[in-house]
Amino acid sequence: MPDAVVVEGLSKRYGAVEAVRGVSFTVGHGEIFALLGPNGAGKTTTLEILEGFRTRDAGRVEVLGRDPGDRAEGRALRERIGLVLQDIAVEPYLTVRETIARDAGYYPSPRDVDEVIRLVGLAGQERRKVKALSGGQKRRLDLALGVIGDPSLLFLDEPTTGFDPSARRSAWQNVRDLRDAGTTIVLTTHYMDEAQALADRVAVISDGEIVAEGTPSTIGGRDIARARIRFALPDGCSVAELPVAGLPVDAVPAEAVPGDGLVTVETRKPTEALHELTGWALRHGMVLDRLTVDRPSLEDVYLRLTEHGAPEHNTRRSTR
Amino acid sequence: MSTATHRAWHRDLALLWHQIRYEQLSFWRNPQSAFFTFVFPVVIITIFGAMFAGGDEDSYFYGLSALEYYVPTIAAVSVLGSCYSQLAIVLAMRRQNGILKRVRATPLPAWMYFLGLLAHCVVVSVVDVALIVGVGGLFGVPFPSPAQLPAIAVTLVLGAAAFCALGVAVASLIRNSEAAPSVVQVILFPLVFISGTYFPIHSGVLNRISGALPVRPFNEALLGPFAQHTGFDWRNLGVLLAWGAVGAMVAVRRFRWDPRPE
Repeated sequence: MPDAVVVEGLSKRYGAVEAVRGVSFTVGHGEIFALLGPNGAGKTTTLEILEGFRTRDAGRVEVLGRDPGDRAEGRALRERIGLVLQDIAVEPYLTVRETIARDAGYYPSPRDVDEVIRLVGLAGQERRKVKALSGGQKRRLDLALGVIGDPSLLFLDEPTTGFDPSARRSAWQNVRDLRDAGTTIVLTTHYMDEAQALADRVAVISDGEIVAEGTPSTIGGRDIARARIRFALPDGCSVAELPVAGLPVDAVPAEAVPGDGLVTVETRKPTEALHELTGWALRHGMVLDRLTVDRPSLEDVYLRLTEHGAPEHNTRRSTR
Repeated sequence: MSTATHRAWHRDLALLWHQIRYEQLSFWRNPQSAFFTFVFPVVIITIFGAMFAGGDEDSYFYGLSALEYYVPTIAAVSVLGSCYSQLAIVLAMRRQNGILKRVRATPLPAWMYFLGLLAHCVVVSVVDVALIVGVGGLFGVPFPSPAQLPAIAVTLVLGAAAFCALGVAVASLIRNSEAAPSVVQVILFPLVFISGTYFPIHSGVLNRISGALPVRPFNEALLGPFAQHTGFDWRNLGVLLAWGAVGAMVAVRRFRWDPRPE
């Protein structure tokens, strides 16, 4: 089966601003794909081009084998995709059930209205008017409208922005359940933990370009990156006194940064390095306070990747 | 017709009915829009009724009694209100807060969305006109004769359609929903004023100008079958149709669903 979404060399400019610059990626059937990036990186523009809301300036786009830019394909395509967008609303005076039943009528083979109400956690609110719903309940209604047509592909634009932690967890579970039932999901987010928790594959987009792509655990070389040992220097001890000679050759202790006061040792051989450091501390009767060992988080990778493009971005824009 | 296209056609018809029903539901649920759509014209005709009840035929009113003149013109202005004004304001508002974008995200074809709105506007117009004729009856204005009903019905539907198209056109040209009510009124108020809606105009120059604009032809086309037993007024219906076509053309070319322009 061909991929659910194919994007090749996609570009879009608004006046002097190049919002999307030659973006390419594919999304396989049944996977959760996350476009990760800071505000203004081009996530929403890319998504809206895939959804057929915006035209593109260059590149090839295929969604479920159709071109979303072709208006003649619009109806057939929309019968098979679901959308949860940021800046949308529904009639304030209809009830929850009426709103969902109304949209159900637009699709050739919709899901059961009551089943969808239960799925998104709006059971018991069916007869309430939309205008009386809380912000979180409105977002659940948005999700209900996104899935009522039983889409094979669902677009989620920052689906949990503004959610409290428990609402996020249940929204994530909804998304996983949909994926497990065979729905392909393309979502945008600027939350690292969301991409980490949900996505099968992540593409980091920065300044209109994809700067990295992979699974959440391997993106940006996370899996092969050096481990990071951090601790507070014992009182009256300087970095120069650390047992540098005994550490693995790639491990060079870095001075504590003023903020947290922690010394950092990065290495590919964390076991040896840790053994040497703790042995040294025990021999001298010292304590390595706040000792941690970790690998770069998705957030570290993301910040490194998205910061990288920033200076170039600024000069390019100011010259225009 | 093959079975497949027949089935598709059947499905579209069911979908259109579905859309009309929910458009009606959304309207009647909103106490504000239902109130203003019906109360304003009824209040006006009641005031005019109290002012002019029992008045004789007068050459100032083209040989009609004042109320015989006002029932069709107030009926016309109520259609303007529920088709042109309401639709322009509602669409600008629905675009601004993202309701239109949500509709666009579904497979509902655009023409069906607008046909649903048109059907809704026709229903509201018919209710409005019936209310006004009813209040007119209370003040002794005779009901239009049954022989004139086809002409009244056709004029009403054509007028509603033309003013809906103009309403959508104006909504397409308005960028900011907060400006919508004033833009709508700035266009409508002078037009209604010079078209003889609230008092007959006896200036030949003014009538020639307003006769080429959409409101006076609609007044005239209703006045004929309502009060003068003259049936279809094809010339004025033609002018209305032309304005409807202009409105539809602007709407098709310029209508936007997205609150943020591209």
